[in-house]
Amino acid sequence: MSSRILPDFNLLLPQSVAEAVELLSTHRDRITVMAGGTDVMVAMKFAQSAAKLPEFVMSLENVPGLGYVLFDPEKGLRIGAKATVAELLAPPEVKQHYRALWHAAQTFATAQVRNTATVLGNLLRASPAGDCSCAVYALGGVVVLHGPHGSRDVDIDDFWLSYGVTARQPDELAVELTLPPPAAGSRSAFKRMTRMSEDLAKLNVAVRLEMSGNTCVDARLAMGCVAPTPLRLTKTETLLRGHELTPEVLQRVAASVPWEISPIDDKRSTAEYRKQVSGVLLKRAIQEACGVA
Amino acid sequence: MSEETIVGTNAPRVDVRDKATGQAQYAADIQLPGMLYGKVVRCWEHAHARVKRLDLSAAAASPGVVRVIGPKDVTAKRYNSSVLDLMVSESMHDMLGDIDDQPIFTEHVKFQGDAICGIIARSEEAAERAAAKIVVEYEPLPVYLTAEASRAPGAVQFTPEKPGNLAFQLPEAMFPNHALGGGDVEGAMRDADIVVEDAFYVPKQKQCQMEPHAYVAKVDSGGRLTCWTSSQMPKLVQRKLAKLFDLPMNLMKIVPTVIGGGFGTRLGMISEPQACAMALAVPGHPVKLQTLREEDWVISPSRHPGKYWMRIGFKRDGSPVACDARFENYKGGYYLDASGTAFTAGAWLGGMYRFPALRYRGESYFTNQGLTGAYRGYGNPQTNFVLEQLIDRGCAELGADPVEWRKKWHKGVGDDGWCPGVTYPSCALDECLDRGAAAIGWTEKRRKYAKQEGTIRRGVGVAVMNHTSGAMPMLLEHTACTVKLNEDATAEVLFACSDMGQGSHTALKQIAAETLGFPFEHVQLSSGTSDVAGFDIGAHASRTIYVGGAAVKKACEEAKRQLFERASLQLGVPADELDIRDKRIFVKADPARGIQAEAITRAGVYHFVDPMTGEPGGVPGQIQGYVSFFAPHNSPPFGASFAEVEVDTETGEVRVIELVNAHDIGRAINPAAVEGQLEGGIQQGLGFVLSEEMDYDAKGRVQNNSFTDYKMFGPEDMPKITTILVEDADPVGPFGAKSVGESGLVSPIGAVANAIFHAIGIQFTEAPITPEKVLKGILEKGVRNYAAIRRS
Repeated sequence: MSSRILPDFNLLLPQSVAEAVELLSTHRDRITVMAGGTDVMVAMKFAQSAAKLPEFVMSLENVPGLGYVLFDPEKGLRIGAKATVAELLAPPEVKQHYRALWHAAQTFATAQVRNTATVLGNLLRASPAGDCSCAVYALGGVVVLHGPHGSRDVDIDDFWLSYGVTARQPDELAVELTLPPPAAGSRSAFKRMTRMSEDLAKLNVAVRLEMSGNTCVDARLAMGCVAPTPLRLTKTETLLRGHELTPEVLQRVAASVPWEISPIDDKRSTAEYRKQVSGVLLKRAIQEACGVA
Repeated sequence: MSEETIVGTNAPRVDVRDKATGQAQYAADIQLPGMLYGKVVRCWEHAHARVKRLDLSAAAASPGVVRVIGPKDVTAKRYNSSVLDLMVSESMHDMLGDIDDQPIFTEHVKFQGDAICGIIARSEEAAERAAAKIVVEYEPLPVYLTAEASRAPGAVQFTPEKPGNLAFQLPEAMFPNHALGGGDVEGAMRDADIVVEDAFYVPKQKQCQMEPHAYVAKVDSGGRLTCWTSSQMPKLVQRKLAKLFDLPMNLMKIVPTVIGGGFGTRLGMISEPQACAMALAVPGHPVKLQTLREEDWVISPSRHPGKYWMRIGFKRDGSPVACDARFENYKGGYYLDASGTAFTAGAWLGGMYRFPALRYRGESYFTNQGLTGAYRGYGNPQTNFVLEQLIDRGCAELGADPVEWRKKWHKGVGDDGWCPGVTYPSCALDECLDRGAAAIGWTEKRRKYAKQEGTIRRGVGVAVMNHTSGAMPMLLEHTACTVKLNEDATAEVLFACSDMGQGSHTALKQIAAETLGFPFEHVQLSSGTSDVAGFDIGAHASRTIYVGGAAVKKACEEAKRQLFERASLQLGVPADELDIRDKRIFVKADPARGIQAEAITRAGVYHFVDPMTGEPGGVPGQIQGYVSFFAPHNSPPFGASFAEVEVDTETGEVRVIELVNAHDIGRAINPAAVEGQLEGGIQQGLGFVLSEEMDYDAKGRVQNNSFTDYKMFGPEDMPKITTILVEDADPVGPFGAKSVGESGLVSPIGAVANAIFHAIGIQFTEAPITPEKVLKGILEKGVRNYAAIRRS
């Protein structure tokens, strides 16, 4: 049950990244960082006990310079911590070179949420259902964290530790997500299944393939809603690497997926169904990435 | 085709400007001096429990709290939040066995969200903080989520008045063997060549009206209790509350507020008793009681879910010989209108086809799910899901075309409608079927999709329905209406029935203007408070235009009669030779001779005697038309829906591509509003058949009481819609109108289910038909071409 009342909290409004990091160092676990607030606010209204409520909410509202979405053919795509999902959709290069993320962002939640929610926030929520998380996992990238002792990059492969938990330390601020520059022959796609169009995914999948002709040179496959965190399908990837994408290979790939995932029954679907359709959805994402209808 | 100039046009909706600009004042918007805020403390952790201990003291000491009231601080009388019991005679009431079993605050929790006590505070925040300090200890009881569980021997009894937790079954006195219908069902089934039979499950669907329930209540210095509420039935709620609080009705005032959607959930009361009990605890102070969306979801009644078994026998030539059915619904924790849906589900069944023998049994069992009550369609969606699928199964086995079969066997003019002895006065279902079939491309697609290959399969399906226009003769159908002519020949219509957003007040205004011969803009229509408006049973059973419109028309005719009587004195022509258009009364045979209505209305109000001559200036007296109207019939509307779907056989996902709703509505008073009703109905029908259901865990706690996890069709999910209005004027309804309020959502349900059957050759007996169920069905049974199904 939610509440009409937003519980009491102390609002922190740092004016810079440095100040934000300092506040994090001081209050550590007692702080919740807020950018778009689409998760934080809801969680606070639904909190079942005072123990789950943050003492401090640190809003990034006044921290300048974090709202960017910058593309550089050499360096890749840089997404600032305050860039919203809607803002990600603006630069044409996102659609051109990071198709999976563009697609995930385009169908993300609802227009109202896209206008407020941030891309990085989606990753930091560490939900296995995050559409942007799933796409970023397949595309690869690093999350840039600023802490009291400087900055460090965390590879997305090492970012999610368990449900709701990331590699970010309590005194660190996530300031940027960087995606690698587009490689020749690289293509990606994102697909999801929902109960209704405007919904959280019951299953989502993203693929990035490095193709040479019809042969897959490298593959990164990510799936959501099938494990406590977004999941890389590393075993299935090996069935693609070095292989021509024949119907037989795709069949093997699809058949491999249910063995790699551990979905649960929840409000959106069942473990059984997720296993049944996981291979189909992956196969379709691969076909879409390769331009096969 | 007709002479009307206002009826039949898309007159602008009277309510939308205020709603679109945020000026409409809902109960939650009301602010009064000295207002206090109420909060009902509910049991969230149990669906079935006894309250062992309730300690209000810590909450009462909480800052900002004015009073905390528990079961001992309010009347010990119980109530029935539905109003159906007021709409039948006392003898019928006794026969049906309606009971009052709801306490204001309970000591026996019967569903999650049952009310425990109430807090009155100076702010909503203070009330909510105090609510957290209420101490309640519960003794958990076994939780019964189905009829099977609650009727089991030894089950905890919900009320001593209903042994075996059987809240209702069709009464023996009216329905021998507790069954509706007639004829020798068993014998006919033995003679049948083909019998189709299955057990279905129909879902617990929620109305999802936009406005969460909110109230203001106040007791004034004279002891008069006022309740601001958006109930669909203000007049009956007035009587209910007066009875509950032992007040004469003149001391129980209802102020109807703008309704932010009803769909049946406001049919009667929800938290009016709690709001009024709080106001009585703090006389002189208005108390506002608002519900959260998630709270509204669990405390207001939903559609009746349950098991619905049916079998139908056919002769090889296609003729139906018998239908046998049983609907066991899961009533929820309290009785309210247990009798209603259990009966009507069978009534619609009886009204649809010419079954020579019919036996329908309807039962309501108490369960620890949330309450059930009225939801648009009222038993008809459940029947449509079951009946129309079995008809199509029969058609498949007979090799009959589902459209042709329905055209041959549906009931029509002269046949009994849903109520035996009340025959259909009009029926244009054949035209609905023909035009709907043409619109969707039935013949070609039916043939084309009967044999398909590949992952994606398409299908087209049809379903039909009958409904009602008001509930005569089962329920009271009474509406009073007053039409007052102002001195400038404008009119004020006073009519207690609410507009829930369906466009009824706009259409009623059109009826009034048309009848009076006044411009639309010169007619005002108000619901008024209970002080001023006459009796009306309320907005339910798709009655507002058919019954209310007839009442408005009669009241306006009476006002017009007086107007013509006076004009006839002036013009020297008998009143029946006069007509009126645009406020000018004229002689039909000589239109140049006439008089402005204003000359008569003004002289009636500003009446003077000429001091020079002593002559009166016209006829004195303000003209008012009044009627206390009882509907003579229920002219059922008919409808045919056609759906085209695409089924992804690898994922089980169903996409509805097009939906055609062809409806026999008699006459559209406001065609745009009628189309809006039919389109809105489709959205809810699609939800019933494909996506919507309240889920409970084993402890009876609802899992999806929010829009996050209860999924309705959104704008992007809706198919292409084609609405066909078949206008074949009904001989009874005002200007030939029949109802359209509920019927639009009914037959899309069967049509979609049948389209899925056509696409993959599998029928699904549990609604909603989710991708999970479709894929399971495909994996178990295999996709079959429809053409391969015919058995004989």
